[in-house]
Amino acid sequence: MGNANSLRQQRLISDILVNGGLFLLCFIWTVPTFGVFVSSFRTRDDISQTGWWTIFTNPATITTLNLENYNNVLTGKEYVYKSPSGDERREKGPNLSQSFMNSLTVVIPATVIPILIAAFAAYGFAWMRFPGRKMFFVMVVALLVVPLQIALIPVLRDYTKLGLNGTFLAIWLAHTGFGLPLATYLLFNYISQLPRDIIESAFIDGASHFTIFIRLILPLSTPALASFAIFQFLWVWNDLLVALVFLGSKPDVSVLQQQLQNLVGTKGQDWHLLTAGAFITMFVPLVVFFSLQRYFVRGLLAGSVKG
Amino acid sequence: MRTKILVLLTVLMTMSFVLSACASAPTAAPKPTNTPVPAEPTATTAAAAAEPTATTATAAEPTKETKVEAGKFDWTVFSTEFKGKKVSASGPAVDQQAMLINKSFEEFEKYTGIEVDYEGTRDFETLVLVQSEGKAAPDLGYFAQPGLLKNMVKKSFVVDLSTFLDKEHLKKQYKQSWLDLAMMDGKVAGVWHNADVKSLVWYPVPEFEKAGYKVPQTWEEMIALSDKMVKDGNTPWCIGIESSGATGWVGTDWIEDIMLRTTSPENYDKWTNGQLKFESPEVKNAFQVMSKIWLNPDYVYGGTTAILTTPFGDSPTPLFDNPPKCFLHRQASFITNFFPKDAKVGTDVNYFYLPPIDAKYGKPVLGSGALVAMMNDRPEVREVMKWLTYGESGRVEAEAGVQIAPQNDASLDWYPPAQRGFAEILMNADTFRFDGSDLMPGAVGAGAFWTGMVDYVNGQGLDEILKSIDAAWPK
Repeated sequence: MGNANSLRQQRLISDILVNGGLFLLCFIWTVPTFGVFVSSFRTRDDISQTGWWTIFTNPATITTLNLENYNNVLTGKEYVYKSPSGDERREKGPNLSQSFMNSLTVVIPATVIPILIAAFAAYGFAWMRFPGRKMFFVMVVALLVVPLQIALIPVLRDYTKLGLNGTFLAIWLAHTGFGLPLATYLLFNYISQLPRDIIESAFIDGASHFTIFIRLILPLSTPALASFAIFQFLWVWNDLLVALVFLGSKPDVSVLQQQLQNLVGTKGQDWHLLTAGAFITMFVPLVVFFSLQRYFVRGLLAGSVKG
Repeated sequence: MRTKILVLLTVLMTMSFVLSACASAPTAAPKPTNTPVPAEPTATTAAAAAEPTATTATAAEPTKETKVEAGKFDWTVFSTEFKGKKVSASGPAVDQQAMLINKSFEEFEKYTGIEVDYEGTRDFETLVLVQSEGKAAPDLGYFAQPGLLKNMVKKSFVVDLSTFLDKEHLKKQYKQSWLDLAMMDGKVAGVWHNADVKSLVWYPVPEFEKAGYKVPQTWEEMIALSDKMVKDGNTPWCIGIESSGATGWVGTDWIEDIMLRTTSPENYDKWTNGQLKFESPEVKNAFQVMSKIWLNPDYVYGGTTAILTTPFGDSPTPLFDNPPKCFLHRQASFITNFFPKDAKVGTDVNYFYLPPIDAKYGKPVLGSGALVAMMNDRPEVREVMKWLTYGESGRVEAEAGVQIAPQNDASLDWYPPAQRGFAEILMNADTFRFDGSDLMPGAVGAGAFWTGMVDYVNGQGLDEILKSIDAAWPK
């Protein structure tokens, strides 16, 4: 009896410890984000003079919260300047809508293309026998450790010769190339662990490699595809460097991250707009993440822990 | 076992992926806003103030002299044979300034038919090197850091402008000190498009006047004023040097300003190109003069801790408190961007010229600016370069009050009243010198000198700091 009690007590204590620890970690991780969120509703002068927690310590200040930052980010900043004659001129700066579309134009093909190619490659490496298979696979894995920065200048030179610079095709290809090694490796892990019986019986029934790939492999590896899609999507969505180099910053092609960076102003005087900008750009990745996240952990682990 | 290794590998791969994502960020990280922004050109005809609407239809030889009725810009110096050609330009100015740069080309485009397209990115300094290596450089680049341009010249990425711009014309358009700064490795590396004045002290007008304070004309008067403020129970100075990766540049500006006021311009030049050591008495003296303000806890709001931890953009904010928590703030003209939205220059806050220390050296001015360099040699790009040598090319920006046109034919009438003073200070300068840290090699000017300032405020020994800055000069 007493034994069971003390066991229960122990369980309780360890529960409290674990949950308390988890709560503490979550709290520490969330507080800064929450602070940024609150700040996104405050004016620059408020941000630079008092902390975001002022809304709790001095609830009266809650009335100063406003949507001005969001307004500036979404519809463009308003520039006010004096003309020599003394009258004020107002003008609207660029807004995020065009670059939002540009970002989508970049990110969707740059996610789909590498996944398709990588899935084909992974199937080939896993289920087809051809000479040099192991060597090619080792090469793909080795490419994982090559940082993309060292490829920027050579690729840029080639693009210049081909006249691809500043086109969407250029950046799709770039992201495809940079994403392929990891994609191939991850998908290989998964696809090679699919039960041999299924694939063999399909063969016996007379299915070609292509049919097997389309009818069996693709549906069966949805978790792995989805989890890599999240990776690639987030990476491309958040990318600034590759877009800057291959796409440039002209308004008709510039992606969201560039526009966001430019919002800060030449001297960085409008950094407070980043708070609102961050939450706006965060929106799409969050939607993607939550719609695909049930595959996420499964996709990463499935295939690797199964015998 | 195998599966475990696979899991581990997967995790590692994931991490390396995430890490590489993080790693790319610093490369692309926005350059700290150390120096002035590239500004835009203000071109004008000698007589000036008039709408640049004079679109005389006839095309003329590019070399023709400018002689048109007073107040009108003579467009006939430009050729119209390049209609429809495109010229790309890039620089670190973004947002409002990028818009103004594009606007400033409108009149030129109307006359010549050349389309100039400026795109701004805050990573210009990094990007332009990559683009040049990749043979994809824009036609024109706006360089706020002469050191970077020099680097480009060394790698032969930049076209020598003296191959087509007339020397006499340049002499007419620019003061000699500007031309000297644009000479790199014996080439004319670029033309100056805009300037920022750095030798300014800002003060809150109503309270300043209410307390009976007077704008000081000499350094001693300024120190006396500071003492008086302390006696009145006020804090004179607001200083903040935090600027993420570029923390310390505010201090280097002070040192440069003091150098110009305590030693000859020749010594200043020697100092910026490495012949005069940091350990020399001149430089040491400049640090000591500065420390009398910086390291005096009565003088600086928040003391040395505040100097180190306040972002430079936030540091003037206490000027606007009621009552002001400090009364003086030394910073370049661009600091107005960081003032509270409703603060009006002239009535709420105003500026005076950082007074001279030694009358012998007159009224020197420290400034910065942007050079436009040409990276691709095509006839229509040459035409645009020529346009940029006229004050008229920067008029739109001058009228918006965002920058000063360094050309001689720019008119003071263009500026809004609040900004006219900047241009006046620049025009009346006895000596003009460029921000020294931007001229020094990156290892010093954007490295040891900055960190030296931080160490100095932190209380490290001066001799030790100066020695380590000297040691950082590339051999």
